[in-house]
Amino acid sequence: MAELAIAKKQKTPWYVSQARRKRSFAILLTTFFIVMQIVWVGLPIFMTVLWSLVDPNHPWSYPNILPEKLSWGQWVYVFKYTNIIRALKTSYTIAPFAVLLSFILSLPTAYVLGRKQIPGKKFFQTIVLLPIIMPGMVVALFLSRVFTAFGLAQSFIGLVLAHTLMGLPYMIRVLTTSFEAIPQDIIDAAENLGANTFTKIKDIFLPMVRPGLLAGMVFAFTTSIEEFNLTFIIGTPTFETIPTILYSFLGYNFIRTNASVVALIMMIPNIVMLFAVENILKSDYLSASLGKL
Amino acid sequence: MKKLLAMMLAMFALAGVAFAAGPAIDLQTASWDQIVAAAKAEGSVTFYAWYFPDYFKEAAADFEKQYGIKANVIIGDQTANFNKAIAEKDMQVGTIDVMIVGGQWVKTTTDLNLFYGPIRNILPDANKMPATAWEVQEGVLIKGYLAPFHRNQTGILYDPDRVKNPPQTWDELVAWINAHPKEFGFCDPSKGGSGQSFVHTAIGALTGGLEKYKGDKELVPAKVANWDIVWKWFNDNKDKMTITVSNNDSIIRMNGGEISMTVAWDDNVKDMISKGNLFKRAKMYIPKMGLAGGGDTLGVLKNAKNKAAALVWINFIQSKEQQLKKFQMVGAYPARTDLPIEGTLLSEEDRKNNAIPWFPAPYKDYMIKEFVKNVLMK
Repeated sequence: MAELAIAKKQKTPWYVSQARRKRSFAILLTTFFIVMQIVWVGLPIFMTVLWSLVDPNHPWSYPNILPEKLSWGQWVYVFKYTNIIRALKTSYTIAPFAVLLSFILSLPTAYVLGRKQIPGKKFFQTIVLLPIIMPGMVVALFLSRVFTAFGLAQSFIGLVLAHTLMGLPYMIRVLTTSFEAIPQDIIDAAENLGANTFTKIKDIFLPMVRPGLLAGMVFAFTTSIEEFNLTFIIGTPTFETIPTILYSFLGYNFIRTNASVVALIMMIPNIVMLFAVENILKSDYLSASLGKL
Repeated sequence: MKKLLAMMLAMFALAGVAFAAGPAIDLQTASWDQIVAAAKAEGSVTFYAWYFPDYFKEAAADFEKQYGIKANVIIGDQTANFNKAIAEKDMQVGTIDVMIVGGQWVKTTTDLNLFYGPIRNILPDANKMPATAWEVQEGVLIKGYLAPFHRNQTGILYDPDRVKNPPQTWDELVAWINAHPKEFGFCDPSKGGSGQSFVHTAIGALTGGLEKYKGDKELVPAKVANWDIVWKWFNDNKDKMTITVSNNDSIIRMNGGEISMTVAWDDNVKDMISKGNLFKRAKMYIPKMGLAGGGDTLGVLKNAKNKAAALVWINFIQSKEQQLKKFQMVGAYPARTDLPIEGTLLSEEDRKNNAIPWFPAPYKDYMIKEFVKNVLMK
C-alpha cells in the first residue's frame, strides 16, 4: 500500500506541477483583470446608461438602488434643447482632418526623432509634448490671440489646426517608438537590392509602423473628439462640438442626467471605433522582420 | 494678376472701413424705436449663458418671431464663458454680444471694464426691476451697467423624512449639527454661492451682525479682526459637517442620501427636481437668521458687434411675457416686481422677512480667501 502511495506521488513530474501552477496563476490573473475591467470600466458605463434613462418625473434618489422608472425623457431633452446634431456633424468632420494633418506632420518628425541622431534630440522629444503638459485653458487663451491675429479664429481651418496641435504629441511619441523598432538590417538589405527612397517608405517604413500609426491615429482622433478648451475659445459661437455641449452639463452647472446622455453620445462611436481598429492592428510585419513569424 | 491683387486690396479696405464704422446711432441718446430699427439692421445677436438651455432655446425662437432677429444662444460653462470674454477683451470686435454675468465673476469683469454701459437709462422696462438690483450685484457696484433678469435666493434645503424640526436660528442649527454629525453639508465657498451664503451668515451670527460692513467701498481691517472666531468655529466643527464641491454637488449628495440638510439656490433646486435629479419631497425655507440672495444679470460686451440687438434681447428677456415664461419653465424667480407669482419653493413671506443682502464685495472676496486659507487648508 505504501509503495502504491509513493508511486502515485512520484507520478507527477516537477515540470507538470510547475506548468499547472503557471496555468492557475494565469487564470487567476485573467479573472482578476476581467473583474477589474467590469468594475473600473463596465460599472461606470452601466451607471451612465442608467442615469441617462432616468425619467424626469421620477427622480433616482436614495435609497433606491435602481431608478424607479426609465424613459427616453433625458435624451429627448438633449436632442430638443441643444444643438447636438450640429455638434456631432462638426466634431466628426473636424476629427478626420485633424488626424490626417497630424499624420502628415508627425511622420517626418517621428522618423528623425526615431532613427537619426541630431543635436538636442532629447530636448525636441520633450518639447513636442508641451501641448499636453500645459493646462488646456492656458493653451486656449494664448492660442486664441495668435489665431485672431492671423484671422484663423472662428474658422474651420483654425479649429482643425488647433485639434492637430493637441493630437500631434501622441502621434509623434507613438510613431517615434515604432520607427525606433525597425531593424536597420532590413533597410540595408533593401538598399543593397536597389530600393530608392520612395520604395523604402512604401514597402518598409509604412507597413512596419502601421501598428504605431493606428494607435497614434486612435489617440489623435479621440483627443480631437474630446477637445473642449480650444474649441470653446476659438470655435464658438460659429462652431459647436460635442464637448462644448457636454461641459454645459458637466462643468459648474453639473446635471448628471443630461451629462450622461451627451457623454454616451461622445463615448459610443469612440468605443466602436476602438474595437474596429483593434482588429486591424496587426504587428505581422514587425514580428516577421524580427524573425518571430 | 496685379489687377486682381489691387481689386482684392480695395475690397478688403472697404470692408475694413465698413466694419470699423460701428453702429450708426448713438445708443445712449437714440430713442427706443431707433434702437430696435438698428437692431433689425444688425440682424443677429450672440448670447452666452451657462444654464437653462431649454428656456433660452425657446426664447430665441420667440425673439426671432417677434423681431426677425436671429439669436445665437451658446450654453457654455461659467468659467469658460468668462475666460473667453476676457480673452477677447482687446479685440476690436469680439464674438460675444451679450452674456449672463454672475457669481464672483461680477467683480472680475467689472474691474476689467468689460461691459458697455450704462444701459439702465436705455432700457424701457428698467424701472420695473428693483432699483437695488441695478446698483449692486454680489456686493459689487454695477452702476446700471448690468441688467437684472432673474433673482435667486439661497435657503436651507432639507429632506422632510429625515429632518423633523428644521432650525431657524444659528444656535438651533448648531444644535442640529451636533445631534446629526455629517448630515449637514455646504458648498466650498470658493466653488459656489450657496457656500458663500452659509459662511456669510455664519460671520453675521458669530461676530455681531452684518450691518457694520454696509456701504464700505473697501475692506476695513479693523472690522474683520475678529473673524478668527469664525474660522475657529469651522475648524472645530469641520468633522461634523460635509463640505461639497459645488452648488449642484450639495443637491446631488442630498439626493444620494449622504446629507439631509444643506444650503442651496432656489432656482438650482427647482431645475434639479424637474430633471429627475432630486426627490420631489425636498423642502426649502429661509431661516430667521437670514440667508443672502441676489440674482444674475445680462451685460453687453464693450466690443460687441451687435450692441443694438443685444439691448433689444435684454429688453425681451426682461419683458412680462418672458419673465413669466421663464418662471413657468425653469422656476427662476422674475426680476420684475410687477408679476404675480405662485408656486415658488420659497414663500414670499420668507423672502420679505428673512432674505438678507450680501456685504460689500471686498469683504466677500476676503471671506472666500480666508476660508480657504484658514479652514480648507488646515
